[in-house]
Amino acid sequence: MSVTSATLPVSSRPQPRPRRKLVSDAVLGTVLFVVTEVMLFSGLISAHTIVKSRSAGQMWPPFGQPRLPAEETALNTVALLASGLALLFAHFAFRKEARRALVPLAVSVVLGLYFVVFQGREWAALIRQGLTLTSSAYGGFFYLIVGTHALHAVVAIACLAWAWTRLRSGRLTPAQLGAVEIFWYFVVLVWPLIYLRVYL
Amino acid sequence: MRRWTWAPIVAVALLALMPEVAYACPVCFDPREENRVAFLATTVFLSLVPLGMVGGLGMWLRKRARELKGSPPEDDGGNAERA
Repeated sequence: MSVTSATLPVSSRPQPRPRRKLVSDAVLGTVLFVVTEVMLFSGLISAHTIVKSRSAGQMWPPFGQPRLPAEETALNTVALLASGLALLFAHFAFRKEARRALVPLAVSVVLGLYFVVFQGREWAALIRQGLTLTSSAYGGFFYLIVGTHALHAVVAIACLAWAWTRLRSGRLTPAQLGAVEIFWYFVVLVWPLIYLRVYL
Repeated sequence: MRRWTWAPIVAVALLALMPEVAYACPVCFDPREENRVAFLATTVFLSLVPLGMVGGLGMWLRKRARELKGSPPEDDGGNAERA
C-alpha cells in the first residue's frame, strides 16, 4: 500500500516553501509610480524643447518677457541636491541604527522646504515682472513644468516629514523609508534636467 | 468581387506614386533645421526612456532575486518594523 500525502497526518505533510518577496509592496508601488512620473516629465520637457526650437532665430525668452533667475536658482539647486545627499546619509544611518537617521532625515526635510519656499518667492517676483501662465508659451511652459515639479516636491516633503515622525516613535519600517526615499530621489534628480532645459 | 480585388492594388499604386500625400504630420517636415532636429531628438528620447526604465526595472528585480537566493529566509523585503 502506497503512502500518499492525503493519508499522512497534517503535521508530517511536506510543506510548500514560503514565497519570498523580491521587494516590498511599498517600494515596488513607488517605483512603478515614479516610472509614470518620469514619462510625464519627459513629455513636458520634450514639448518645451520643440516649442523652443520653433523660436530659433527669434528671441527666447520672447520680447517683453523677463529672464529667469538662473544664478539664484543654481544655488537653490545645490540646496535640493544637498537634501538628497542628506537622505542618503539617513539611509545608511538607518541601516546601522534606526534612531541615528533622525538628524539627517530632518536636514533633508528642512533643505527641501527651503527649496520650495525659494521657488515660491521666485514665482512671486516673476509674476510681478509680468511673466504669467498666459503671457506667452515661455511663461506657460515655465509654470507648467516648474509648478508640476513643485507640487511633487511638496507631496514628497510631506512624505519625508511623515517618515520622520514614524522614525521618532520607532515605527518606521525599512520598506516605508525605501518608498519615501525613491520618491524624493526622483524629485531631486529630475530637477537638474528641468533647470538645464528651462532656465539655461 | 473583382472590384474588391483591384482596390488594394490601386491604393498601393497611389501611395507609391504620391508619397507626399501620405505625410501624416506636416510639422515633422518643418523647413527649419532646429525644429526637425528637436522632433527627431525628442522622438528618440521618448522612445528610449520607457524601454530603458522597463529594462532597468527587470534587471534590478533579477539582481534582487539572485541576492535573495543566498540570504536567510527571514529577509521579507523590508516589510518588518524596525525596533
